[in-house]
Amino acid sequence: MREVAILGVGMHPFGAYYSGKTNAEMSLVAGLAALDDAGLTFADVNAAYMGHIFAQVMSGTRILKEFGLTGIPVQRIENASATGSAALREAYLSVSAGHYDVAMVLGFDKMTSMIQSGTAGTAPENLEDAILPAAFFAMWATRRMHERGTKPEHLARIAAKNFNNGALNPMAQRQAKERITAEKVLSSGMVAWPLTKMMSCPIGDGAACAIVGTVEMAKKLRPGRPVVKIAASTLQSERYERGHIFQGPVVGPARMSIDSSNAVYEQAGVGPRDLDLLQVHDAFAIEELEYYELVGLCRPGEAEKHIEEGAFEIGGSLCAVSTDGGLIARGHPGGPTGLAQIWETTLQLRGEADRRQVRRKSGDLPRLGMCHMMGGGSVCVIHILQRV
Amino acid sequence: MPETPRPRQPIKPGFFTVPDDPAQPPKLLGTRCEDCGEFFYPRRALCGKCMSRRTVEVELDARGTLYSYTFVHLPLFGSTNMEHADGYGVGQIDLPEGPRVQAPLAGKQPEFQVGQTVQGELDVLRDDGGTDIMIIRFRPLGEARP
Repeated sequence: MREVAILGVGMHPFGAYYSGKTNAEMSLVAGLAALDDAGLTFADVNAAYMGHIFAQVMSGTRILKEFGLTGIPVQRIENASATGSAALREAYLSVSAGHYDVAMVLGFDKMTSMIQSGTAGTAPENLEDAILPAAFFAMWATRRMHERGTKPEHLARIAAKNFNNGALNPMAQRQAKERITAEKVLSSGMVAWPLTKMMSCPIGDGAACAIVGTVEMAKKLRPGRPVVKIAASTLQSERYERGHIFQGPVVGPARMSIDSSNAVYEQAGVGPRDLDLLQVHDAFAIEELEYYELVGLCRPGEAEKHIEEGAFEIGGSLCAVSTDGGLIARGHPGGPTGLAQIWETTLQLRGEADRRQVRRKSGDLPRLGMCHMMGGGSVCVIHILQRV
Repeated sequence: MPETPRPRQPIKPGFFTVPDDPAQPPKLLGTRCEDCGEFFYPRRALCGKCMSRRTVEVELDARGTLYSYTFVHLPLFGSTNMEHADGYGVGQIDLPEGPRVQAPLAGKQPEFQVGQTVQGELDVLRDDGGTDIMIIRFRPLGEARP
């Protein structure tokens, strides 16, 4: 097995573009940025993995033609919210196994067009499928409040942190003009009690790309620049346990994040306390709170205390989480979301994250970052990136 | 002349019963595994726990303990009678046999509390050309427990 590196990353800013941007336009911006970042051209790419949820069949193959017609294998990968993450994993596996030297992973989606055409005025023929993600995660929150005494203020502090991180990220969809407080988050209007609008990710569009290759190649292409390797990768679906809900799309059973994070820690030979930064599937603030514990940043029942202390902020005492704004502020178009996490973590490990740069207590650049995504159905995909 | 009862149909066949007598509560249509004894809702061809193919269909009382709930303040797939000014309730209900059911709630938010007993009842979602399309909603049974 060969060691695999992130050779380059690129993004088109996430936003609610409606008819203003096509998937092809956004993909070209993200893909060319990633190729430039890697120091490669499309002629160097041996295989492409296209991640999209909402775009039509063939969209991946058609959009790849914008880069050139070179005969390379191209495939669509789809795994709900974890689509981009799952596509990265396929590229990682193929390069690691020696099938290809350079693989392109391109995620794109226009969630705004899906919402406009897909659901307006439609009768809920399958009521069990109509339990919205907001409701599902709100029920996590209600249960947590019952078991642990969690307050809506804790969720609001997470969301405020992510808005304030997002304001430092030019790719983020929600750009707060002023510092966001927990009070503002709490008063932003109810989506599904106790989750407010600002505790929930927005609908949006965007594209993100990662170029994957060998560690040797990364050293040669960009001499002097820190090399970011994929230290571990896992993709898991659920194991049966009592209390599983078989109706409709399911997202985020607790056990899956515990098992998946244990698996990547073992692969990478690290533990949660070694992480300098973490990106999670914070489509709703309650998720981020749960994942603090499920991936082992703190013990069960302790998340609230650490939130009050600001332990998950950039410069916080435990680990910087959702440094680019997370799904809540950076946005969550679907296909590109997992790759936006890779973009952020790669920049952070190289020391290129500008005003939101994470530093270790020693002042050194971060060494380890983890990217966690949940996908409906459901699956959990986690990657650990490491500066070498 | 007595009014003829309107025909009633479940929103999806095989999910729950719609008794002829409107006063009778519905039953949930589930599965029991003959090998490991685990119960499931909705029905499954194979056991979700041990993968046995020896499964039988069972009727379950639509009554259980509220595991969690929320009130949603977004319009749901356009206009339906689930829209209310103060949101519509959605809950997760643990049945005594084991399955956790996810379903709409009947009632206002202050009536609900985690851990209380709730009872499923039929409600008309819409009129489909003279036939009432029925859904199940869960309502608190008696006073909310602390």
